[in-house]
Amino acid sequence: MIESLSLHKPHIEHWLVLSAILFAIGLYGLLSRRNAIGILMSIELMLNSAVLNLAAFNRFVAPASVDGQIMALFVIAVAAAEAVVAMAIFVAIFRYRRIVDVNRMDLMKD
Amino acid sequence: MISDAVYTLLFYAIAIITIVFALAVTMSRNLLRAAVYLMMVLLTTASLYIMLDAEFLAGIQVLIYVGGIVVLIVFAVMLTKSAEMLDRPPLRRKLSAGLASLVFAAVTICVFWTSRFPIAQNHVAVPPNNTEEIGLKLLDYGSGGYILPFEIISILLLAAIIGGIVVARKTPPPEQPFTTGGDLTGEADFDAPHTQRPRTGKHI
Repeated sequence: MIESLSLHKPHIEHWLVLSAILFAIGLYGLLSRRNAIGILMSIELMLNSAVLNLAAFNRFVAPASVDGQIMALFVIAVAAAEAVVAMAIFVAIFRYRRIVDVNRMDLMKD
Repeated sequence: MISDAVYTLLFYAIAIITIVFALAVTMSRNLLRAAVYLMMVLLTTASLYIMLDAEFLAGIQVLIYVGGIVVLIVFAVMLTKSAEMLDRPPLRRKLSAGLASLVFAAVTICVFWTSRFPIAQNHVAVPPNNTEEIGLKLLDYGSGGYILPFEIISILLLAAIIGGIVVARKTPPPEQPFTTGGDLTGEADFDAPHTQRPRTGKHI
């Protein structure tokens, strides 16, 4: 039991598959939700899985350097900035039109 | 050998927990609960970073995502009364979204499983002090250093802060045109919409 477990130590493919599954779940949420904040949560999930990819590649392809982790830090910082601006826009739209439903956010359509 | 076995077990356990919580984020009807599930996903991802020898990244994940973004999301859910409106997508939409994400997952997993990556040999020296290495690299202005992206990121964060404040502050009632200049005292509830509103140059 212990031997077989130690022989099946997760390799880079396992990490990549995990992050692909997380990304697909985020994609499902992005496409199925109607609430703008729920969509933003799904986007955070997707960004998170992308960061996991960067860390996994750093660990398995270039373990002697930290470039992948620095890239991951930049992604996290940009995600924080994006979340701030998106939240501000949603709160402003809610104040102005009392909606958070993305189907009804069509002010620029007509 | 024991440590490898424990590593494998931990990887699969944490992976399953993460996937379950991620599904809960996208399927929960109450958005406040979805935010708490998102927090759990981000915490378990931080433990995955620790398993990938990226301790500093795990710390940053907990500080920024769990401490910052989740709190921000909870505030936004409360400010927009989203917790009271249950998000109930129609079945057709659920089906098409599920189909799209399944196809995406299948294609991506096939690609990952069949490609060969330039894997480094085992027992390559991992930098013993991860945080120190990252700090030196971030502030290195030689070749391969990241000082310029670092400074650009700080400008981006400043712009995001100012943009967030300007966009989210108090706006006039719906009959009046949407401006960002409605925050002077008494200006927002100025009840004569057709007269010219007082203009000041002091506030941007």
